[in-house]
Amino acid sequence: MSHETWQEQLRRGTLDLAILLTVSAIPRYGLAIIQHLEAFTDLVVTEGTIYPILGRLTREGLLEAKWVEHEAPHPRKYYKLTRAGAKRLADMKTEWQAFVTKIDRLMDAAENEA
Amino acid sequence: MNLSEAGVSRVNGYLFVLERSLKTFLPPDVVRDAVREIESHVRERIAAVDGAGDERSALEKILAELGPPLRVAQAYSVERTIDEAILTGHLVPMFSAVWRLAVTTMVGFGAALGIFAGFVISFAFLAIAVMKPLFPDNVGLWVNNESGIPHDFGMRFPAPVDEHVILGYWVIPISLFAGLLFLVLNYRGTKRFLIWWRNRRLS
Repeated sequence: MSHETWQEQLRRGTLDLAILLTVSAIPRYGLAIIQHLEAFTDLVVTEGTIYPILGRLTREGLLEAKWVEHEAPHPRKYYKLTRAGAKRLADMKTEWQAFVTKIDRLMDAAENEA
Repeated sequence: MNLSEAGVSRVNGYLFVLERSLKTFLPPDVVRDAVREIESHVRERIAAVDGAGDERSALEKILAELGPPLRVAQAYSVERTIDEAILTGHLVPMFSAVWRLAVTTMVGFGAALGIFAGFVISFAFLAIAVMKPLFPDNVGLWVNNESGIPHDFGMRFPAPVDEHVILGYWVIPISLFAGLLFLVLNYRGTKRFLIWWRNRRLS
């Protein structure tokens, strides 16, 4: 596996978590989600492909979507976390933190052995 | 930035291609919603651009960052059809997802061939179980009269004179078991393939 493929898999694997985190505190519409992700990460490569993921997370019942008509000159589709989404996010955060801790430990061990 | 007529045409062209691509595999209400959301994204981006700049290059940059309409449609396709198949586990969405992958990718084509062969084998066994009571002398495990070696399992019309069937009506439960086992394994294999594919989806 090339380094680029590994990076790509890492990015794809964490995108769901990143999106759920982005709408965990306040509802956000598509572009606001993208901008938030771009401000904190480099997970968004092609903006248009975020929308199908938002659609999937909505179908899975993790997000709730609602069109807001009069906030801007054009309608915006807002996404917010559902109760199931909040639970999934909590599970994902726990697993992510445990995963990072283990990898950090492994990296420390490798450095100490060197 | 307020778009000129050419700019509006460019945006409409993008949305038109996206809509046509999405229409091939998504229900109309989902297509409408998806196109509306992408249009909202484009308009939001355009509104944020300084009006004094070059409209054409600004618009091309916005659309390039959004991605080519076919790629966006492909991402919807992968997310939608495969997710529906995995989430529901129903045969029709699963076959639909496999078919979509088969006609668009080499890996999908190979997997679809394997899945098709698996289902053919399953139904062949089940057909043997159904046909045995109707044609007891034509269905079963075929053995050569002289050598006594079994060499074929299935139906033969007319029955060869130098061969006979053995196992009797045990053929029915054996075929039923084998057919159902193949069906279950094939179903699980198909679902696993789709889950594997989803995990490497475009994003």
